[in-house]
Amino acid sequence: MSARARTHRRTAVLFLAPTVLIVGALVAYPIVFSFWMSLRSADGSRFVGLANYVEMLTSPGTRRAIANNAVWVVVAPTVVTVLGLMFAVLTDRVRLVKAVRLALFMPMAISFLAAGVTFRLVYDEDPNRGALNAAVVAVHDTFAPASPYPGATVREGSGLRVVDDGAVVTPGTVAAGAVVRLPLVGLPADAVPGHAGEAVPPAAGPGVRGLVWRDFTPGDAGTPGVVDPGEYGLPDVLVEVLRDGEVVAETYTDAYGRFVVPELAGGGYSVRLAAGNFTEPFRGLTWLGPGLVTPAIIGSYIWIWAGFAMVVISAGLASVPRSAVDAARVDGASEWQGLRLVTVPFLRPVLAVVAVTLVINVLKIFDLVLVLAPESVQPEASVLGLEMYHASFTQLNTGLGSAMAVLLFALVLPGMAWRARLLRRQELR
Amino acid sequence: MSPRVRTGAALAVLAAMLMVTGCARGIAAGGNGGADGGGELAGRTIEVAGIWTGAEQRAFRTVLDAFERRTGATVRYTSGGDDLPALLNSRLAGGSPPDVALLGQPGVVAQLARRGALAELTGPAAEAVTANYPEFWVEHGSVDGALYGVYYKVADKSVIWYRPEAFAEAGVQRPRTWQELRRVTRALADAGVGTMAVPGADGWVLTDWFENIYLRLAGPERYDQLAAHEIPWTHPTVVESLELLDDYWSADRAIQDNPLQLTFVQAVADVFGPAPKSSMIYEGDFVAAEVNRLGTVAVGEGARFFEWPSIDGSPPAVVVAGDQAVAFNDGAHTMALIAFLASPEAAGIAAAQGGFLSANRNLDRSVYPDPVTRQLADRVMEADVLRFDLSDLTPQAFGGGTDASMWRLLQEFLAGGLEPADLAGRLEVAAQRDFAAAYEMAPPGAGDGR
Amino acid sequence: MSAAGTAGTAGTAAAPATFVRTDVPRLRPAPTVPSGPPRPGLVRRLWRRASEVVTQVTVLGVTAVWLLPTLGLAMASLRTAGDNSVTGWWTALAEPNQLTVENYVALLSNETILRSLWNTVLITVPSTVLVVVVGAFAAYALTWLEFPGRDWLLVVLVALIVVPVQVAILPNARLFDLLGIYGHLAGVVLFHVAFGLPLAVFLLRGFFRSIPQDLVAAARLDGGSELAVFARVVLPLSGPALAALAIFQFLWVWNDLLVALVFATAESAPITYALREQMRAFSSNIDVIGPGAFLSMSVPLIVFFAFQRYFVHGVLAGSTK
Repeated sequence: MSARARTHRRTAVLFLAPTVLIVGALVAYPIVFSFWMSLRSADGSRFVGLANYVEMLTSPGTRRAIANNAVWVVVAPTVVTVLGLMFAVLTDRVRLVKAVRLALFMPMAISFLAAGVTFRLVYDEDPNRGALNAAVVAVHDTFAPASPYPGATVREGSGLRVVDDGAVVTPGTVAAGAVVRLPLVGLPADAVPGHAGEAVPPAAGPGVRGLVWRDFTPGDAGTPGVVDPGEYGLPDVLVEVLRDGEVVAETYTDAYGRFVVPELAGGGYSVRLAAGNFTEPFRGLTWLGPGLVTPAIIGSYIWIWAGFAMVVISAGLASVPRSAVDAARVDGASEWQGLRLVTVPFLRPVLAVVAVTLVINVLKIFDLVLVLAPESVQPEASVLGLEMYHASFTQLNTGLGSAMAVLLFALVLPGMAWRARLLRRQELR
Repeated sequence: MSPRVRTGAALAVLAAMLMVTGCARGIAAGGNGGADGGGELAGRTIEVAGIWTGAEQRAFRTVLDAFERRTGATVRYTSGGDDLPALLNSRLAGGSPPDVALLGQPGVVAQLARRGALAELTGPAAEAVTANYPEFWVEHGSVDGALYGVYYKVADKSVIWYRPEAFAEAGVQRPRTWQELRRVTRALADAGVGTMAVPGADGWVLTDWFENIYLRLAGPERYDQLAAHEIPWTHPTVVESLELLDDYWSADRAIQDNPLQLTFVQAVADVFGPAPKSSMIYEGDFVAAEVNRLGTVAVGEGARFFEWPSIDGSPPAVVVAGDQAVAFNDGAHTMALIAFLASPEAAGIAAAQGGFLSANRNLDRSVYPDPVTRQLADRVMEADVLRFDLSDLTPQAFGGGTDASMWRLLQEFLAGGLEPADLAGRLEVAAQRDFAAAYEMAPPGAGDGR
Repeated sequence: MSAAGTAGTAGTAAAPATFVRTDVPRLRPAPTVPSGPPRPGLVRRLWRRASEVVTQVTVLGVTAVWLLPTLGLAMASLRTAGDNSVTGWWTALAEPNQLTVENYVALLSNETILRSLWNTVLITVPSTVLVVVVGAFAAYALTWLEFPGRDWLLVVLVALIVVPVQVAILPNARLFDLLGIYGHLAGVVLFHVAFGLPLAVFLLRGFFRSIPQDLVAAARLDGGSELAVFARVVLPLSGPALAALAIFQFLWVWNDLLVALVFATAESAPITYALREQMRAFSSNIDVIGPGAFLSMSVPLIVFFAFQRYFVHGVLAGSTK
């Protein structure tokens, strides 16, 4: 062996020792140790074979977590990559490209914790506080105007029926000349408009007539179904008169809650207060409820990572030969066709890199779920990384926790192989 | 203009603060020996872990400061939030538990004590506890006959808070019986002023609902038996209680919409905030602390309470809970801190700040800052029937955590997915599993030979 | 312009070969003169102009949406808890007198948060420095020294980049306990160093390889020891790669929550850990969480805006971690 080779070896040992020691002890060895612990009982005291793996794959909690992980792995990388491609292509041709890209990439600098806090504010269920629901409600309300008496319902014992869609209907039939009484409750006093007067039943006369009023007197003073002093009429209620299920007349109540349809004669009518009078205002969606929590968290993940995909894909875009794009354009291809037929095929390797990177990253997701999912829906939102933490430190089951860690490791194994292959191809000529 | 200037100023302050942070820290670290160097524990550092954050943490800090002044020791407080048991477990696994922890679940204390992680209270600590606390609290601080904890802070969980303004608008009085409560609820609904907020997102609130009904319907003896799982959860008294609960929760308009999305803190805001949606909320005395935080109405004026109503003529009964201080070692400094926390002096400092009830019988109750708190303290000290929160007495997996069986099942029940009898059956299945598991589970530290 | 291109004398070197193009993407202005195709007709030009406007508006809209969450947090952190519990942050746009630095002032007297911020610094700085230094030595050995098993060791190290942190939590808790550093800053730092090294080796080796062999050979001929070659020739040329690595590691450690949750205690808890505790009652502690979170993210943001180029480079290279 030459002197130089000896020096090299000695120096290599010195230079590499800290890295090999630290990585060996704290990264490589734990893989083996986790595997060993995964075959042992909750407290590590005895060998239990594959019992922990069986428990992991049969317990509803972890199965839900694994299912959630699957949703994550399918949805998040796909959406992020597609958005990243769109951003890359679009930002390439606008003014302020630099500022725009910085803004889109910025979330990458933010911790999952801070992002979680940020999105708690975005997803707040109350449209008065949560930005997303405020937007959703604003859009909804432009198309569907608010109802005058949200939440009002019939007085119990009045005989009135509330049908499925929320409309109030008289029982039986009503004949012209009679006065129909429609007592409503469940309305706060301040929901009665300022121009309303104390309820006055309409005088007897021809046609279908009646009264809609707020049948509530504090305490035991009032009699249900009777117009007591101090009870107000409800103006502007849409009243429909029906015969054989067909609407034959429509009118609104006056300031005293009265309505009259004088032209109707005979009997067999029924009176309906349309559901639109009582519709509860739209309050938006429960983003962090059991049903939407995983998509909502994925949404915040997309916010964080789309900029990353954009930047990588932009770098790839720069390598797409302009001549090919221009040639396509001369051939009369539209923008979209050019993108689909020329740009994307050129970018395929880059897109694959982005997607694989995201898959590996998504498999390990933990902080975002822990922070963003409210405690009550954490089981619904759980993922493997989080289950592993709970199994190990809440339930004190190191065996089960290790089994989950091993599963997680097994899932990223292809990623390891991919890493090693890339390295071989690119570096170890 | 104005917004821009303000935002600019805010950003400038922010930037300045970033720079200051480092300096401030230097001062804090240097101020270690701030207690004049005197005192028998000068130079000792004691670590305390608890669940409190925010205002509660600040209040506790003043008590710890008093201890520091008196002994010269330095006390560090760690907040574990709701994850405190997880924090303690991971710290125990690593061999560095805090000296003292304040734990809300006796079940966790029992588990820790049985696996030898806790030190029995001795010397001045034990003396202070027996001298200052009624038998009930000493018993509940003991595991298998040995004293491990002192109930530093207690809670009265048998009151329902309401908005007097709403009651006036509906023309109703405080209900005394279950039937009256239902009538009042109906009248509030008809008046359109909002009814009961049930924060189902926090499972512990639901267990508290059940416990109050069960204690009144089945009586204290049965309550004790159920807590120890000596009678099954399928017992007729349980089913009957669940039916009563179901009657109330599922009655038309009786409770605020979407209860499963409603957290406790939000529910208090929905009753006592500026835009009320409901006019009653059931939970313990600590509702007052949240009301104070909101600052919209004053406790005692815009927010009052009534006793949990009697069921079938049941006598007044109080469900209590509390945070007990336990020791992880028997060092003199640790015991000194526990003894201090058990003293009337510490209780007085904490009580004077509000949002705090003490079970210390030698505390002069005039230190409570307002009549409402004093009244709550009287209830705890003078109750004929006093029972500890049942779910807290069960193993953690059953009654004491986010994914605990009792929490989840009651949430499912509230959502309308279960009949009372089915729920009872599922609770019994879970109880059998969780009670058995709690007794066989060995400590994580036991395997590594320490 | 590649990152390597800024390294001065090594300007001729190719961009370091990593799994993606690691040269910082060029942020080019949109071409104003269409090249190639002949000048299209008026309708076609109008159509194109219109679509440009639509694109510009869409992109600006998306950008605004992307900025809103952060803006929301910043605004919320400048409003009182009372205001935040009743209305959304955007109401402060109409009523700017809602804005107050009260929360930040309160935060300055919050010992727990201040200590945790300081702890974050105490954890992040050594973790970053150690990873860069230790990793540079290892990468040098794996690039410029000949010894048996070199390629094999490199492949193993690089493969370890993707190992999930979760795998090592329980084993390392026991190990740290044995070493007596469980719950101490040292333990947290060590954990981060261990998980940062594989990436460091990969990233730096990729860069070192691009340094012309002649430079190294010449230095050796001049009688320089390997240490001297490393310190005088290789390191000075590697500024951009070291910066990218340092920024990535800094970001990774600064933003970590999981490792801190398990390995830190009250005394060694970083800001992420402290804020996570406050989230127990999110809406009532928003006056602490809001400014705390904003403060915690302002440091990475400042780093991001100050060192965009290296930042992007580092994040791209480290993204599979």
